[in-house]
Formats: sequence, structure tokens, C-alpha cells
Amino acid sequence: MAQAHVPMADKHRDRAPLFEGTAARFVGQKVLRKEDPRLVTGHGQYVDDIVLPGMVHAAFLRSNVAKGRITKLDTSPALALDGVIAVYTHADLRYVPGTIVATMMQAMGGAACPENLLATDDVRFVGDCIAVVVAESRYIAEDALELIDLVVVAETPVVNLEEALTDTHIVHKELGTNITGTIDIPRDPHIEGLLTESAHVVTATFNQARQTNSPMETRGIVASWDRFRGELQLHMSNQNPHEMRRRAADLLAVDESKVHVAQQDVGGGFGQKMFMPREEAVIVLLSREVGRPLKWIEDRRENLMASNHARRDRATVTFALDADKKIVAGYVDINEDAGAYPFGGAGAGAMAGMLLQGPYKLQRTAFKSYAVFTNTCGRAAYRGPWQFESVIREQMVEHVARRIGIDPVELRRRNVIQWEDLPWTTPMQVMVYDNMSPAETLDQAVEMIGYEAFRAEQKRAFEEEGRLLGIGFSLYIEPSAQNMGALATEGATVQISGTGKVDVFMGTGSHGQSIETTMAQIVAEELGVHVDDVEVHQGDSNTPFGGGTGGSRTASIVSGAGRAAAIQVRQKVFQIAAHLLEANPDDLEIDSSVISVKGTPAGKTVTLAQVSHTALYATEGLPPGMETGLEATARHRQEAVTWSNACHVCTVEINRNTGAVSFARYIVSEDCGLMINPMVVEGQVAGGVVQGIAGVLYEDFRYDADGNPLTTTFMDYLLPTAAEVPIIEHGHIETPSNTPGGYKGMGEGGAIGAPPCVFNAVADALWLLGVEVFDHPLGPNEILDALATAG
Amino acid sequence: MKPAPFEYHAPETIADAVGLLAQHGDDAKPLAGGQSLVPLLSLRLTRFDHLVDLNKIGALSGISRDNGHVVIGAMTRHRAVELDPSIATSVPMLAAAMPWIGHFQIRNRGTIGGSIAHADPAAELPAVAAALDAELEITSKSGVRRVAAADFFQGTFMTAIDTGELLTAARFPVWGKGSGFAFTEFARRSGDFAIAGVGVGLEATGGKITRAAIAFMGMGPVPVRATDAEKALLGVSIASLDAAAVARVAVGATDPTGDVHASAANRTKIATHLAEQALTRAASNAAANA
Ligand SMILES: Cc1cc2nc3c(=O)[nH]c(=O)nc-3n(C[C@H](O)[C@H](O)[C@H](O)COP(=O)(O)OP(=O)(O)OC[C@H]3O[C@@H](n4cnc5c(N)ncnc54)[C@H](O)[C@@H]3O)c2cc1C
Repeated sequence: MAQAHVPMADKHRDRAPLFEGTAARFVGQKVLRKEDPRLVTGHGQYVDDIVLPGMVHAAFLRSNVAKGRITKLDTSPALALDGVIAVYTHADLRYVPGTIVATMMQAMGGAACPENLLATDDVRFVGDCIAVVVAESRYIAEDALELIDLVVVAETPVVNLEEALTDTHIVHKELGTNITGTIDIPRDPHIEGLLTESAHVVTATFNQARQTNSPMETRGIVASWDRFRGELQLHMSNQNPHEMRRRAADLLAVDESKVHVAQQDVGGGFGQKMFMPREEAVIVLLSREVGRPLKWIEDRRENLMASNHARRDRATVTFALDADKKIVAGYVDINEDAGAYPFGGAGAGAMAGMLLQGPYKLQRTAFKSYAVFTNTCGRAAYRGPWQFESVIREQMVEHVARRIGIDPVELRRRNVIQWEDLPWTTPMQVMVYDNMSPAETLDQAVEMIGYEAFRAEQKRAFEEEGRLLGIGFSLYIEPSAQNMGALATEGATVQISGTGKVDVFMGTGSHGQSIETTMAQIVAEELGVHVDDVEVHQGDSNTPFGGGTGGSRTASIVSGAGRAAAIQVRQKVFQIAAHLLEANPDDLEIDSSVISVKGTPAGKTVTLAQVSHTALYATEGLPPGMETGLEATARHRQEAVTWSNACHVCTVEINRNTGAVSFARYIVSEDCGLMINPMVVEGQVAGGVVQGIAGVLYEDFRYDADGNPLTTTFMDYLLPTAAEVPIIEHGHIETPSNTPGGYKGMGEGGAIGAPPCVFNAVADALWLLGVEVFDHPLGPNEILDALATAG
Repeated sequence: MKPAPFEYHAPETIADAVGLLAQHGDDAKPLAGGQSLVPLLSLRLTRFDHLVDLNKIGALSGISRDNGHVVIGAMTRHRAVELDPSIATSVPMLAAAMPWIGHFQIRNRGTIGGSIAHADPAAELPAVAAALDAELEITSKSGVRRVAAADFFQGTFMTAIDTGELLTAARFPVWGKGSGFAFTEFARRSGDFAIAGVGVGLEATGGKITRAAIAFMGMGPVPVRATDAEKALLGVSIASLDAAAVARVAVGATDPTGDVHASAANRTKIATHLAEQALTRAASNAAANA
């Protein structure tokens, strides 16, 4: 398998060296994951593994019509069933308005939609929660659901974007319109002129298909209210323990210090578990009423039809190019489906609009973006929430190339931002690009795939054998590790025990990011200890406040805090060691937990265990006046976003008889700054790529015209398996970011780059027959339909 | 996703099993490998007050030969048939079809009887049974009867098995010298139920086709035999078979419906292609076996 690795120059040469006084043994290495022994042997501990004495179980009654009025809701027959403890409807819930809205969204203007935790007098999508049964077992709870006497008079639902826009039928009667979150950056006369009078003006409309996060572990919660302490203990499958604590405290109107959130392993989330959803808020509210530990585990059907959906977007985009085929202006109209109850914000169209220029020197852009409510499952973040920008732009670049007759790689090369152009201010003046390498990743990808040779083979295979081979690229930049609000900060406590072992406490909610490994690498590096001597404790609200694991924040923000705390502890270690060794702290170094005077290999040494023993147990040996103990808490504040970038390229073949697409190769050339652990980077890239492939070729959440979901099991909602995905080849370019460590966030990138790359490759193959496609998905059915239009 | 309450029975003999089925009538259902029944129960798409678990009945498992037939006990696991070397030579179409059923984990549990009794229109084994004119052995308190595959599959998930009856074995005829088989299908992912599939058997003597069987799956509520195409093949030279033309005729016997994965028209396209492939492969296998 091809591997390429190119270190780029550091734009900030005057920065301090990356590591001082330690041996640089772990950062940048393929350190094996600390999580793996338990996870790959099936011994992870998930929320459903939590069993508490006296625990009872909840199940939700969900709507099976997309829109309708509830004319009868009698729960008494369910309550009469043996083993049923209580049945609640909306009328039974007491909560202060606003308390279900994510803290971050409150700062951004509050809820996008009504805050009904359970249906009030109507239902608004198939899966909408109407009532909740609490029973001695989940079996009994589900038996009881069938006994609830419910009558819903169906009304005409709003199922798709087009219908929603007309406002003929309204999803949320309180709002009076289906249109929400409109942002309009109009074209100024200059852009208008370019978009009408340039040498080449091309317009196209692209649709993206509805996808859902599908974590391996569905959502789940165990809420246990201790009425004597007045405290709530929450075990939850989540990405963001501090936000969950805040929401639970607000919902129950108790102090945050009266809520403790803890989790062991979390089996994925991809954005689904960043904020507290309606069901979990209900469980939190009921926990105090029920008075016994209350468990709700979402089943797979619920997760598919009612957790959250994403990606159902449409855009009409226009690019103007001058006679040299330089893209001079762009305009896009973005329309997102928010479903009925979006959470964590209705959409991401504004970010998609602002990133229209991507890695190109496109100086003039404007956009309009709006979301619409529909009677479908609500939208929430899904790995790369605004990845539609790359779909719009990268599919458009290749569409334009076909229309004006230029090679798509050549078109990108004419327009891509070069190293010399940085820092580069985007057309809307809100973002400044720096420390990125789009031109270099493009070159690396082109070289790794052997572009010229592929084009020759494509031509030969088509002309001689009628085979449809295709190649697609996608080039994108990724603003990661946001510098706003709670997302700009993380904290870490580093603490050394009396035996010289290191405990690190972080506010993250790892759900597959290898945080226990990578953050241990950072701390081990800074402390000069072996990575096995560092234990990272996280996934718990009894940690320094953190903004949650999402938005590709960990590598630069969390590591910044861990690094700063470790440096403080190391300084104190050196002070104590200097005292014990009768040396100057500035002359010391530490390697593998042994502290010595630099340049004196045979000289006196002291171990970290001796130092920490002194700090905690033999405190008389400390320098006079020094505080005891070896621990520090530090915080990192992110001053600017980091800019990761990558180029994806893949080659495919279309089977003309079945419409199936098979991959020949898939290459990602990625620049995420310095890599903490290349194996973890490649794992993150690969996982994202698979989700991107899935979005174009396999996963497609469908509703019928009445708003009934058609793909509510894994038999119909198709996640690709190992058999369907290609081997992913990786190229690396390392341009350090201007953050401590030089890292950049990259957790979402694979899912951002892959969809247009896959689409472009299929489109390229179809173009051999003169056939054009514009919409995802491209399953065999769609491809056979497209092939049928060939002349 | 928890099943409605049921009473669980685990008889150890066929007699006890059919006794329980007779006693509880339509309220009872046999439980074989559970790979189809358990998800349906969990989704509450179906429910029975009594489940009669067949897993303890040793007499229901095994592969034997009887009078020109290979007889496979209903509780024989898919995987056992797949890995049995004698099946590859005696009923090659069956051997070719087995690996297409789900994933190996499913084949470790799923049973021949379960697949046939379940009668999923997109399942492999009903199509193979139909193509080969297998006989299905059905047992009840009043005795054993045999039903031809053509009469057994009556509709989507509907068979000739009556209340109180148990499918106890499937009998697959062994074809003679000069025969060749092929089975192929197209699914969106490896292990999925197919969008369409086809099994073909050809037998030739002196270079001329003397016996032909073509059955499609996923192309109608039950497996579809392409009888017109089969008839047209008789007497044709196996070496100069026009597979594409025969495939077009064969697919004319089907009447597929569309679903989220493929429209009826695209199913037909795919099935035509599969039939052409299978006919070509069966012909060359037959020639090699001459
Ligand atoms: C992920 C997945 C993928 C699959 N893919 C495929 C596939 O590609 N092709 C395919 O064909 N199948 C597939 N299956 C289904 C699998 O082959 C099942 O094993 C099979 O359909 C049923 O066999 P079983 O032994 O599990 O029967 P069960 O699930 O136990 O029973 C199925 C039905 O048959 C009845 N039954 C079982 N045995 C008898 C008997 N002896 N007499 C009377 N009635 C009986 C039961 O009462 C029930 O109604 C898949 C299953 C899964 C979970």
C-alpha cells in the first residue's frame, strides 16, 4: 500500500521548540491504543451494562403517523398491567421553558423549534414521543405500550423540502411557517456582474441524501435520583458530560453540583450524543418522580427513525470563470431539511455558504441559506455538520470542468491557494486561512493515484471493452477546533501519585477518538514518563470543565490543556529533584521517569517516584516553603481555529448490468499538522471515509409520500461493511498549526471529503457515455436509471 | 424491541413437537435457528403464545441419501450443508447457493427447514428447491406427507405447511452425468437478501440439452420457474447456447415488484443479466461433466 509523508515548513519558525527537557518518545509515534485490549475483545462497558439495585425501565410510545391530532390518549389500561409503575404524558411533565435547550444554543438565540418533550395535542413525525411507560422490565413496558388507548386523526404531512417551502401545510403551528434560520448574504453589483458577464457561467443543482449517524451503541441513560442527598447520578452514552450535567441540573432546577454524569465506554455518536435529546430529558425529569434508578436504552429501530437525521440538503450553485478558467465568483442557494425537532441548531447552511470558496482563490462569493421544518426525524450534527460545502463545491468544480472542457485536476491547479498566498482572507472577510497545504495535498494525491496512467487506462478500457471506469477528486479545508464560546476552552488536571504514576483528568467524552491514548502520549511526552505510566480519566463530570468531544477539538484544545498542566508539574518535579540532587533545575532532564543532570550520563539521578514520594509522604525533604504534592490544573484557550486540509481521490468501476459501483483505489492525502499518533489519524480518516462512501452509495433514509419511514432496520438502511469498502491509502503532509504542539483537528475530515470524491468518480465514469448525475444517492437503482438515459 | 410474552417448549422428539403443535394450533410456532423468527417477534411484527423450539430434536438434523435423492433434515444448519463435500457433487446448485445466504454467523444458526418454511421471496433455498423440483417432507400427528416444491410455495411467507404440521426434511433429486449447475445473485452488500437471483441446471446427452431448470428469486412472491425458456432449451446444442436470448425469454416469466432498493424494471434488467451469466456457467459445467 502506498504511503507518502511530507513535512512542510513551519510558518512560525520563531516558535519555541516543541519539547523541552524530555526525550520526545511518544508524540508522533504509532503508540498502540490503550483502549483496544478491552474494546476489541468485546469487554467495553456501555450504558446498558449498568445495572443498579431496584432499577426500572422506560419505553416510549411513538407516533406511527407523520402528522396528526391526538383525539384520545387514555393510559389507564397500561397502568393496570402487572409490573407497570407509571405512565406519563406531556401533561404530567413539569419543566421550565428553555431548560431543554443546549447551553450553547441558548447563547445563540434559543430553540429553533417548539420545546415539547412529549407530544402535546398533536404528533409531528413518525417516531414522535407521545407517552412513556415505566415498568419493572423493558418487556413489560413494551407490553404496556400496546395497551395505551391512542387515537390520532391523521393530517397531511410535509415530507420534503419542496412541499415545506410552500407553507401549504405547517409542521409547527406555533411558528406559522416551515422556514427557519434564513441567512441572506446578497450578491453585490460586482458579483452580480461577474455572475452574468464572465467568460464561463455554469449553474447546477445538487441534492444530498438523508443519512443518520448510526452509532454502534444507540442512545441510553440510567438516571438515579437520591432523594436523601438530593442528588442525581447519570450514566449516559454521551459525548459531552459537562453539558449533560448542566442540562440535567437546569431541568430539575437543582444546583449543578447536585448532578454527577459518568460513563465508561461510549460506542460512537458522531454528533448525536453532543447535546441532551428529548427522550433523555424526559428520563431525567422522571427520575425524581419515580424514585428508583430509571433506565432507557434506545433500540435500533428507534435510533434509525427517531434519534436524528442529517445531510438532506439541496443547493443551486453558480460559478463564474474568466477566460483563463480562473473561478472569479460563486453564489449558492442552500436549502436544508431540519426535520420536525432538530436539536443543537437547525442546520449548518451558513457555514457551508461561508466555505463556498474552499481551498480556491475565489474572491467573490455570496449565498443564501435557509432550513425548513418537515414532518420527519429532526436534524442534528453528524460528523462534519457543514460538509455540504465540500459536496457543493467539489461536485461543481468537476461539473464545470466537464461543461467547459478542461481537466478537473488542471482546473483545480489553476485555482488552488498556494503556500505563498497564505495567510489568505476569505471573501466575506470573516476567516483567515493559514498553515494549510491544499496545493501540496492535491499534488500528492495526483502522484499517488498515478493520474495520467489512470486516464489512459480509462480510455482504453472504455474504447476496447466498453467498461466504465471513473476517477473523482475532492479538495477541502476544514476549520477545526473552534475558538468560540465553550468550544474554545478545555482544562486538564495532571497529578502524580506517591509511586510516580500519572493520573490525568479531562472533561472530554471520548466515543471512539482514542483520547485515553493520544492525551496520555502528550502528557507522557511533557513529563518524560512512559506512556504506560499515564492514565487518562475522562467521560465524567467530576473533571475540569470541557466543551465536549466533537468538532475535532481534542488534538489541539484538550492537548493544549494537558500539555500546559504537565509542563507545570514537570517544573515542580525539576525543582524538587534539583533540591534532592543539589543541582540547578534548569540543568535537569527527565527520561523514562529518571531525572538527571543534562550531559552527565554517569552522574547522580533521582526517579520520579522518589520525587513524588518526597512531595506526598516525605514532605520534610521538600525545599523550604514549597507546597506539597505534584499536581496542576491548567486550561487552554483556543485563539484561532486550525485549518486542516486534505485531498481525496478514488477510482471506481460501474457494472453496466447491475449498476453496482466497485472501488479500485481510495487515497487520502491529509494535512492535520503534526500527528500525535499517525495510526489514530489514519483510523479517524478511514472511519470518516466509510461514512462518506455510505452517504453516496449505501445509506439512504427514505420516507414514503405519507411520511412513513421505509428504512427502519439495518436490512434496508444499508451500512457498508468491510466487504464493501476499499483499502484506504494514506498520504501525510504535516504543516504545523500555530497552536501549542502544532496539531490541527481532523476527526471529521474523512466524512467531509469522501462524499464528493465518490460522487465525482461515479459521475466521471458515467460521463464516458455522456450521462450527467446531480443527486445522491447513487445506488444501483439510480445508476441503472442513469445508464438508461445514455444515447 | 422486545417480543410479546410467549410460553417456551423444548421437545426432544418429532412426536412431542407435532403433539405440541397440534395442541396449540395457530397459537404455536416452531422455532428453528431463530434468524428470521426472532427479529420478527422482537419487532412485534408477529406473536405466538407458544414457541416450540426444535433445537433439541436430534432426529431433525443430518444429510443422507435415499433413492436418488439427498435428504436433508429440517434442523440441519446452513453451514453444515455448505461445508459437506458430498453436497458439492450430488446437488451442486445447492452447494453454489449456500454461501450467498447471509453471513457465516447466520449460516451457523440458520437451518434448511427454517429457510424453506419461512419462504422469503428473496431467499436462496426456496429458489433452489423450486429449480430442482425438491420434495418437502411434512409431518403431523396423522403422519408424513411429501409436497412438491411447485405446490409448496404459495405466496410471500406462505407455504403448504398447515396448522399442526412440521417440515421435517427436504429431498433434493440428484441429477445424472452431463449435468451442470450455476447459482448467482445480486445484492447491494455482501450477505444481504438479494435484489434478484437465479439458479440454472442443464443436462445434456450427446451435446444436446435434455433437461433444463431455471428458477428466479426476488422476482415475484414465490420462486419463479422459467418454464417457457426451459422448454425452448430442450434439444438445443449445449455448445452453441445463446445465453442472452434464453435469459430474455426466461425473465419474461417473472413479475417483480419494486422496493426501496430497486424498481421492478431494474430488477428485470439485473435478473436478465444474472440469468445469462448462470446459463453460460451451467452450460460450461455441464460440458465439463459430459
Ligand atoms: C442479517 C441476516 C441476513 C440474512 N440473509 C439471508 C439471505 O441472504 N438469504 C436467506 O435466504 N436468508 C437470509 N437470512 C435468514 C436466514 O437464512 C434464516 O436462517 C432463515 O431464513 C430461517 O431459518 P431459521 O432456522 O433461522 O428459522 P427461524 O427463524 O427459526 O424460523 C423461520 C420461520 O420458519 C418456521 N420454521 C422453522 N423451522 C420449521 C420447521 N421445521 N417446520 C415448520 N416451520 C418451521 C418458523 O416457525 C418461522 O416462521 C438472513 C438473516 C439475517 C439475520
